[in-house]
Amino acid sequence: MTATRTAPETEPATTEETGPEPRASRWRTAALATALTALLLGGSAFFYAAHQLRTTPSARNQALTDTAATARVGGDVGEGLARIFSYTPTSSDAAERSAGTVLAGRAARQYTELFAQVRETLVAQRVTLSTQAVRTGVIELDGDGARLLVFLDQVSRRDEGAPTTAAAQLTVTARFQDDRWVITDLRTR
Amino acid sequence: MSGRREHPMTRAVRPRAGARPVLAAALGLTLVAGGFAAWTGQAWYAAAHDDSAAYAAERDRALAAGEQAVQNLNTLDHRQTDRGLDLWESSTTGELHRQLVDGREEFEGQVKAAKTVTTARVLAGAVTELDDRAGRARLLVALRVTVTTPDRKSTDKDSRMLGELTRTDGQWKLSGLGQAPVGGTATG
Repeated sequence: MTATRTAPETEPATTEETGPEPRASRWRTAALATALTALLLGGSAFFYAAHQLRTTPSARNQALTDTAATARVGGDVGEGLARIFSYTPTSSDAAERSAGTVLAGRAARQYTELFAQVRETLVAQRVTLSTQAVRTGVIELDGDGARLLVFLDQVSRRDEGAPTTAAAQLTVTARFQDDRWVITDLRTR
Repeated sequence: MSGRREHPMTRAVRPRAGARPVLAAALGLTLVAGGFAAWTGQAWYAAAHDDSAAYAAERDRALAAGEQAVQNLNTLDHRQTDRGLDLWESSTTGELHRQLVDGREEFEGQVKAAKTVTTARVLAGAVTELDDRAGRARLLVALRVTVTTPDRKSTDKDSRMLGELTRTDGQWKLSGLGQAPVGGTATG
């Protein structure tokens, strides 16, 4: 079978001696090598380009592109902040207890320190504080890490005095663990 | 059978016959390389036409333009009001742009009389809504504004702003800007 297939090709060889035949084969080898090189180079270039496109900081940041996750982290963080920064003289323990589930890392340490300082004042002056996250924006969301900008309204009231409202803006770093977002760092802006 | 008859001819081609397994291997390799190229090619095409990546890029463009515009609108030097107010106008569009153009002379007079230099720095910003097709977006910006009076006293004021962006001619510009209301009292 092989012989019959090569037969037409070998015909020129008989008329022109052995000269052109190795040359044709060399051509074929060169063409194949070129095709192989081109395909490998092209494939690698595509591979690299696709990798570049997928790993740009912009594409990795899922803020707004993953709407469910964006809403989830915004909700968890906003609700958490409201819980830990809301207390009444009789229930400051509740805020501290919430802190255990809402905060972790540096944020938890900061909060504990802060609370130790103000606890007596809070109780003595009968301060009531209620905090609400009025606006939440996700700056960055990458898998189980996120950074957010949160605008807070804080209404404080001393004993039976008139309530005063203060505005606060925070950047929050959060981490997804145990099926919820916990706040690991808080910075006032 | 025919092979045996052509035996004298094949002698001339012996080097080729020896190269045949090599040729087959090379062909196989080329096919594999072709498959590889086809696979990576479609992976690249998918990545290049990924809607969410394009949306993410648009989000970042809107944020960058929005932060810059908010900073521009909170920056003004009484010695260079023309340049500053031109920048205000080029950073805005729509209703906000009209307001700025209408109030320009009055505002210029006020700033020149007060001789203040106002600079601003964006502390943090985030896009909260983005309609890629309609070309509209909303953003939050935490801003530190520094006002320097003629007696060289400067005061810092932190503010939280809500901005509304509109895309015009492929560029994101502010079409609305105000302080985030505090305690339910709407101010902007």
